[in-house]
Amino acid sequence: MIDLQVLTQAVGDLDEKAILTMVKDFVATNPSGEDAQKVVFACQQGMAIVGDLFEKNEYYVGDLIFAGELLSQTIDLLKPVLSSVVTQKVGSIVIGTVEGDLHDIGKNIFGSMAEAAGFEVYDLGIDVSPGAFVEKVKEVKPQIIGMSGVLTLAIDPMKNTVKALNEAGLRDSVKIIIGGNPVNADACKQIGADAFTTNAAEGLKTCQGWVK
Amino acid sequence: MMDAVAMTNERNQMFRDLFSGKTPQRVPISNPATQDFAIQYAGLDLAECQWDLTKLEQVYNKFCQDFFTDTYPGGSIRIPSHYQILGSTCIVMSSSGFMQHPEVVGLLAEEYDQFIASPYDCLVETILPRLYTELNGSPAKVAMALAKAMRAKSDDLAYLGTIQAKMNAKYGYATMVRALTEAPFDFLADFLRSFKGISGDVRRCPDKVAAACEAVLPLMIKKGTLPNSSMLGATFIPLHMAPYLRDKDFATLYWPTFKKLVETLVGMGQKVELFVEQDWMRYLDYLYELPENTIMRFEYGDAKLVKEKLGKKHIISGFYPVTLLQTGSKQQCVDKAKELLDILAPGGKYWWQADKSIINLDVNGPVVENLRAVLDYVHENGSY
Repeated sequence: MIDLQVLTQAVGDLDEKAILTMVKDFVATNPSGEDAQKVVFACQQGMAIVGDLFEKNEYYVGDLIFAGELLSQTIDLLKPVLSSVVTQKVGSIVIGTVEGDLHDIGKNIFGSMAEAAGFEVYDLGIDVSPGAFVEKVKEVKPQIIGMSGVLTLAIDPMKNTVKALNEAGLRDSVKIIIGGNPVNADACKQIGADAFTTNAAEGLKTCQGWVK
Repeated sequence: MMDAVAMTNERNQMFRDLFSGKTPQRVPISNPATQDFAIQYAGLDLAECQWDLTKLEQVYNKFCQDFFTDTYPGGSIRIPSHYQILGSTCIVMSSSGFMQHPEVVGLLAEEYDQFIASPYDCLVETILPRLYTELNGSPAKVAMALAKAMRAKSDDLAYLGTIQAKMNAKYGYATMVRALTEAPFDFLADFLRSFKGISGDVRRCPDKVAAACEAVLPLMIKKGTLPNSSMLGATFIPLHMAPYLRDKDFATLYWPTFKKLVETLVGMGQKVELFVEQDWMRYLDYLYELPENTIMRFEYGDAKLVKEKLGKKHIISGFYPVTLLQTGSKQQCVDKAKELLDILAPGGKYWWQADKSIINLDVNGPVVENLRAVLDYVHENGSY
């Protein structure tokens, strides 16, 4: 069996070669689904280290993006041996970049970190209309909605999306977090969201607090 | 009331003073709202007006009349016609009608060596056809697409230029020229490798990233060269990736070729205006090193610290938070303008601009009133 502590540290260090070698060697041993689950958990803990280093300004956004890429490579390697295991999700989140905005870097970072933390993440993509958010919420009944936007225009469509959720009678069934360059406490209040963040690691902690 | 020509002369003098480090008669002002805002302010459809430019003259007339500014308020305009003709994937229109730059990959990781060996050839042969769908296919078809696109672009630019000349003649704006270029690392990230791609490259193959920045530097210099270096104006360089890098990656990969770019342009007798996007507070000592009187428009950070560290050497701008115009009361907005004026204006070397452009308008929102109040406040209270 793989040394899980070493793997966790390698993920924290973003040591791509070490991670991929360890995980490939592990998969080659034809492991049980339960053991594969432990490996996923070790990677998740490594991502938590990455989040901590980000908050301490040792890592920056570029490192979070790279971490997300490493994690998805790892999960892809593990998929064949994980398929037999039913995983328990900690909660579900619908995310999307709001109408009029095509930027998805921040949303993708948050999405991969939320997935790493055990959330079921439904990503609606970019330029998502209020109606598309409403439809997805009706369909999957998430606990949380994450709206992302970079342009200064993003605040208005965020407001419109909350309004649409209100009109559909869905607003009280979800927590809403907004993220991206133009958001702040005042914008959050005006939009009618429950929380805001310009920092994916911090935003994830907020979401974890909501589903405890 | 001064006539428009005299106003243009006075404003040109203000900017000449500012750019040469002398204290101008008052703080020069540029309206942060752009053509996109102006179209919505006129109650017209954003997408439609960018295709049918004939509606824009009335749009600008109203916009220029209602908002004070010393420079023509167009913003960076991306004309949809030629992008669409070329099948652009790197600049596209969103559902709101705003032209923007999504994440694209023009160069694959395994093509670094090809790019480093001959960046221009690689751009023409490999990267452009990947970013512009209509640049694929038979040479005749590609040539036709390119010819149509360039014709559309020059027609549209000429039309917009006529409007600008009319507004300058009517409202007496400063007549400044502008070139645009990017830091080599940003160009590599924005159009070649993508944000995601470059983030992996700085860890996987930093030597190739550095070599690619060096290789593309001459093209970035050429792109940023003004028609005539003695013209009043500046080369605009919007900075992008530095805040997302670790200090050591910034020092070795971003800074060296960016510094050379600025030094070369300044060495040619040009002014350089940086849009210091996001938060650069950890790089202030680097920015200090740039040639004297480099214009720096900041988005976020500590205005006091910037004035203290850079304000004697460089020209500071930006910082005014446009989000406040959307969320604050008129008094709060004016108070913020006063606060920044008190910090940044003393001693000159301050150009009033906001932290970013205003590109949209919620007609029921407070932005119009607040923006007007702020522009008027700075105009009336910015005298030296």
